Amino acid sequence: MIVCVAVVGHQNNPLYIQSFTDADDALKLHHIVHCSLDVVDERVNNPKKSGPTLNETFLGLLYPTENYKVYGYLTNTKVKFILVTTDLDVRDADVRNFFRRFHAAYVDAVSNPFHVPGKKITSRTFADRVSTIVQSFGLSSSV
Amino acid sequence: MADPASTPLGKMLLEEITPVVMVLCTPYVEESCLKNGLSLIQLLSPFCDFTNIDVPVRTASDQPYRLRKFKLRLFYSSDIRQPNLEVAKERLKKVITHVGEKNFLESSDPSQVNNLLSRPESEMLPSWFQFFNKELVRTLSFSDHEAFDHPVACLLVVSSKDDEPVNRFVDLFNTNKLPSLLNDGAMDPKIMKHYLLLHDNQDGPFNKATKLLADMRNAFGQNDCQIICFNSSQDGKIHHQDNPWAPFKSDALPTENLGGFLNLDDLNEIKDFMQELSSKHIIPYMEQKIRVLNQQVSATRKGFRNQIKNLWWRKGKEDTIDTPNGPVYTFNSIESQIRILGDYAFMLGDYELALSNYRLISTDYKLDKAWKRYAGVQEMMGLTYFLLDQSRKDAEYCMENAFNTYLKLGSAGRRNTTRCGLWWAEMLKTRDQLKEAATVYFRICGEDTLHSAVMLEQASFCYLLSKPPMLHKYGFHLVLSGDHYKKCDQIKHAIRTYRSAIPVYKGTTWSLIKDHVHFHIGQWYALLGMYDVAVTHMLEVLASTHQSKTTQELFLRDFLQIVQKTGKTFEVLKLQLPVINISSLKVIFEDQRTNASAAAARVKESLWRSLEEDIIPSSTARSNWLELQSKIMPRKYKESNICVAGEALKVDIEFKNPLQIPISVSSVSLMCELCANPEEDANSSNNEVQNNEDRTSTSSGDINSCLILSEVDFSLEGGETTVVQLTVTPRIEGILKIVGVKWKLSSAVVGLCNFEFNPVNRVVRGRRKQHSPSSDLKFLVIKSLPRLQGFIHSLPEKTYAGDLWPLVLELSNQSKSPVKNLKMKISNPRFLYAGNQKELNADFPACLKKKMNVEKSGRHANVNKTLQNLYHFPEDISVQEETSLSWPLWFHAAVPGNIPLYITIYYEMEGVSSIMKYRTLRMHYNLQVLPSLDVSFQLSTRPSRSQEFLLRMDVVNKTSSECFQVHQLSSVGQQWEISLLQPVDSILPSQSLFAGQSLSCFFMLKDRRRSSTSEDSIPSLSHIQSDVRLGPQDNSEAFFDVSSSPLADFHDCERSSRGMSSQGCEYKVDFVFITQLLKGNSDSSSNTPLVFSHHACDCSPSSMSPISWLVDGPRTIQHNFSAPPCEVNLKMTITNSSDAIASVHINTFDSPSSNNQLINDATTSQPPEHQSGWSEIPIVNDTKIITTEALTTRVPKSLSLESVPQFIWSGTSSTKLVLQPRSTAEIPLQICVFTPGIYDLSNYILNWNLTPVNDGENQGEANKSSGVCQGYPYYLSVLESNFKD
Repeated sequence: MIVCVAVVGHQNNPLYIQSFTDADDALKLHHIVHCSLDVVDERVNNPKKSGPTLNETFLGLLYPTENYKVYGYLTNTKVKFILVTTDLDVRDADVRNFFRRFHAAYVDAVSNPFHVPGKKITSRTFADRVSTIVQSFGLSSSV
Repeated sequence: MADPASTPLGKMLLEEITPVVMVLCTPYVEESCLKNGLSLIQLLSPFCDFTNIDVPVRTASDQPYRLRKFKLRLFYSSDIRQPNLEVAKERLKKVITHVGEKNFLESSDPSQVNNLLSRPESEMLPSWFQFFNKELVRTLSFSDHEAFDHPVACLLVVSSKDDEPVNRFVDLFNTNKLPSLLNDGAMDPKIMKHYLLLHDNQDGPFNKATKLLADMRNAFGQNDCQIICFNSSQDGKIHHQDNPWAPFKSDALPTENLGGFLNLDDLNEIKDFMQELSSKHIIPYMEQKIRVLNQQVSATRKGFRNQIKNLWWRKGKEDTIDTPNGPVYTFNSIESQIRILGDYAFMLGDYELALSNYRLISTDYKLDKAWKRYAGVQEMMGLTYFLLDQSRKDAEYCMENAFNTYLKLGSAGRRNTTRCGLWWAEMLKTRDQLKEAATVYFRICGEDTLHSAVMLEQASFCYLLSKPPMLHKYGFHLVLSGDHYKKCDQIKHAIRTYRSAIPVYKGTTWSLIKDHVHFHIGQWYALLGMYDVAVTHMLEVLASTHQSKTTQELFLRDFLQIVQKTGKTFEVLKLQLPVINISSLKVIFEDQRTNASAAAARVKESLWRSLEEDIIPSSTARSNWLELQSKIMPRKYKESNICVAGEALKVDIEFKNPLQIPISVSSVSLMCELCANPEEDANSSNNEVQNNEDRTSTSSGDINSCLILSEVDFSLEGGETTVVQLTVTPRIEGILKIVGVKWKLSSAVVGLCNFEFNPVNRVVRGRRKQHSPSSDLKFLVIKSLPRLQGFIHSLPEKTYAGDLWPLVLELSNQSKSPVKNLKMKISNPRFLYAGNQKELNADFPACLKKKMNVEKSGRHANVNKTLQNLYHFPEDISVQEETSLSWPLWFHAAVPGNIPLYITIYYEMEGVSSIMKYRTLRMHYNLQVLPSLDVSFQLSTRPSRSQEFLLRMDVVNKTSSECFQVHQLSSVGQQWEISLLQPVDSILPSQSLFAGQSLSCFFMLKDRRRSSTSEDSIPSLSHIQSDVRLGPQDNSEAFFDVSSSPLADFHDCERSSRGMSSQGCEYKVDFVFITQLLKGNSDSSSNTPLVFSHHACDCSPSSMSPISWLVDGPRTIQHNFSAPPCEVNLKMTITNSSDAIASVHINTFDSPSSNNQLINDATTSQPPEHQSGWSEIPIVNDTKIITTEALTTRVPKSLSLESVPQFIWSGTSSTKLVLQPRSTAEIPLQICVFTPGIYDLSNYILNWNLTPVNDGENQGEANKSSGVCQGYPYYLSVLESNFKD
């Protein structure tokens, strides 16, 4: 199950952070997302030298915490997407697929002429779409 | 990499993994030592560390090497046991608490992340971690699975004071008293013994001791016995410069003089003894032991045969022993022997040998499933690899293996895990693998929260120090660590870690985390009782808009609680609650310009300025350069604003509650400075103020009483915004400066906000000054002046259009001096007009009625009123001190809509102030005028009579509920006579117009001026019927007088507002329609009817050419048609009513076809069936009146019957004449008729052309400079007259 998705701007400012748990653990998830930025930076600054990863946006598993797995994704505009999940065996393909759809949703949201770049994403359509994507992620992984 | 031994881990290992010497001593020995404030071990410890011992060592190999560093660890026999867990824990806790206290006081916050990183590494990393780690490792000493804590030697110490010292020595090493570890077989009890006789020089002469030494040597051997004399100093005053014992006695008081009885000789003696003990006894002993053990191991385990045997043997053993901790090994089992061999080799620095033995034993333990021992060996292997600096990978692998193995053991191996992790982390740190080290620290965290906290903090520092720094993780681990500290009640540590985390989150938008950090710091400081600091942190979270409502409530409540606990009211400079919108700041002050109401203050300054333009004396408003400015006031005060003592300055500020919860704000007031003596702070060269002395006399001490500040309380709902008006009233002269605003939040915290450094959007009378903001809020307070207060009584807010109503303007003067020279200007004279003073008490509406017996005093009652809406009050009118003046005003709601009314009243004061000679009072009202009656007039000329007009009046009641009673219609001026065509009763029996009802009335209008010329008689004025009564005809009520004030005045205004000159030209009539509203909907006059007047200006016939004519002649002719054709003479009278010369061209034509064409070209006003010039006479001869109806129904068949008309125009078919302006001419016309019938003589046209006298008067309909007019019907009946003959 995905517990949290986040969009973090290129100055490491949170643009969108949404948890999908019932528990009051927003703070914890904020911390986890905030922490994972270090790993993103690390990945970005020391890219693996192999060819296919040259233009790779998917950053892979950032780090496993006790209960969560954190995945990252970096757009061309240096906006980071973070996914926190409790699933212990997640297929990479699923995560890639999730991020691709999430990226599309994000692009649509920021293409809104009323969206101010660098400000938090407040679009409800975006939120709805994200929750749909998140739900479908749970389904596809369980199948 | 540097020498592994010189790295922190290497140093630590060389310190910690060293031979242990068990110390046994008698009480007398301790007693002697305690004279110096030290125990025996403490006394000896400083001399156990040899940094440059330089001893040749030969272990298993034949090649000797030199040992440089060596250290002995001394322990009392009672301490050689596994430390008590609880005691150890307690000790660690004490260490942490102690450090917490110390660091808490010293801690200084790095405010920026950059500062954090710019500091040297050593400063960044708290030194106490090392100390703590060492203590933590020491809790594991004397564990049963490791051999390096096994005592290598035993030092027996007896004092020379003891009785029979030799026996005492024997007693000391009594097996019963030895530590249990030695007895139960975990350690080898057969260890090297060394005997020391301690002689206290204070107790007696030395020779007794030498004798005892000889005895000892006899008993225990020559080499193993030694003597030390100490306490040679008699007075105990010796002070050691760099106290060698300080590190070993941590709890020493600073006043204590350690080693006071030990002189330099004593120290040297002790030092020599320890060196000899190490180099001549312990090291050779260990060498020998290693060789022996090595031989033994080689014999049993080395070689192929032995290995096979061992393997087979262990396989067989596997089934039999299966305890959770693996088999129990005693010291003399071969496994323990190998381990001891390895540890000894390690301690002597022969790491190769140690490693080979560790490897050997590691497999054995693994096979035996002795996991703890296996892990211990792996750990040592890792360390050995590290010290050998050979294979990093192997070292790490071993450490990880050991760590995991310990971890598998669960709680039993917990502390070993910690130690192993610490060493591992240290190892990684040495190799700059800080991230990995941090992970290891993180993994160390176990159930012991306190230790976990320290580990997390160490992990955080690893992240900070890693390259590049991983600040996010640094912050996260600090927060985690703080949480753990808090759980263990280490609040000071918790605060410290949280505070270190602040720079990470500062300036970011991760507000949830930021709030969490600040809120908890605040809370914890409050727990410690440091409320001041707590408040500063709580302030950070107060205005957290993104938090949920409950969180906001919690924040606010806790904040207020903390503030309460401080027991004082806090003054906070940048309190975020509520938020002040500085840009909304508006200062309203009154200098010359005063406002009657707040509404007037909000009106744009430009509006007032344009209104006041011509009433303010220009000399004061804008002095020319020749006039000395200093005469009026010093120049610098010109720049600052002026206000008057005793009059309030108003400041509008907007407050906003950013939270979702309501907050209460009280005691909102301005902060002001009033400097009684403006010269004091100004100290400029401008000292030519005359009344300097007066001002200095007022001391600035009683300033507080010189200012009156208003206080406002309000509460704000969540997200609410409110504008608050604050006032300050200076009471003395001086310089007033508005500094800021202060308020009280929930009556606990005082918030301050300074205006100074903020851009102030000051709207002062709409004029924005370009000075610095600080001077904008600076005011020169001048002596108090008279200030008029104005109010208009009973001005309705809402009324119907046309309402006419008398009002009273009241001006009151509260001051001690009179004002005079009053002038008033009203922005909209259509609505408001100043009346005459004698009208003040007049009876309304009777005063509007015509007074028959009073002689008219001309058209305008008050001729002194000039144009431009300006009203001068009579010269003798002045408002005396403490009195008020009432003045009548007439109100007329001219047009519907929202009407702003601006009134400004100018007045002058006499000799009160040199700076201000006059003031203006500004009043502003807003009216809502609803549409009432829609009155329209249509004027059409009577074709036959050029001086008479038909007037049609359409009235629609547009209100929704009101019922108007029609009263009268009057034409303005004396040249028109108006009369009803039909009685009103027939149209409107009730004389009332109900809501939505419409009324059409027809009137006859006669131009008397014109008619007078024809009638040659001038009617007397009294008979002029310029008014017509529409109400009940029998009513004897007088007409309203439209030619006197105020109706006439309003009418003039009406005209001028519509852009018409006051004098009307002919054919343009102005009407005033007056109705009454009986049902008084306004509360005041319920009995007196409201009067409504509707004005219509410049009504003129809809399509009127300047040329009019009248065809005159006989209407009926009898002619005998047997005679020659009948000739009829007609006369056409043409009038030029324009101001221009007109040339008129009259064309007559006989052909109906051409006529038809012309009609189509010229005008379509006539229906086409009128075209034919002839019609048969009806059969009925006796009816001679032919109605127009009959004519219009006529079929134009005659046209088809005959093409020749039945009459022809005789004489000239075209006549041209020139008419002078306003003149009349007559033209004779003649027709010839051939048969009897009724003839329509309309087949002629008039072409007229105007030649204007001058261009300016070409206005109105007269601007039609040329035109064509179709002749209008003139019916001529020609009858056969022969039967009459």
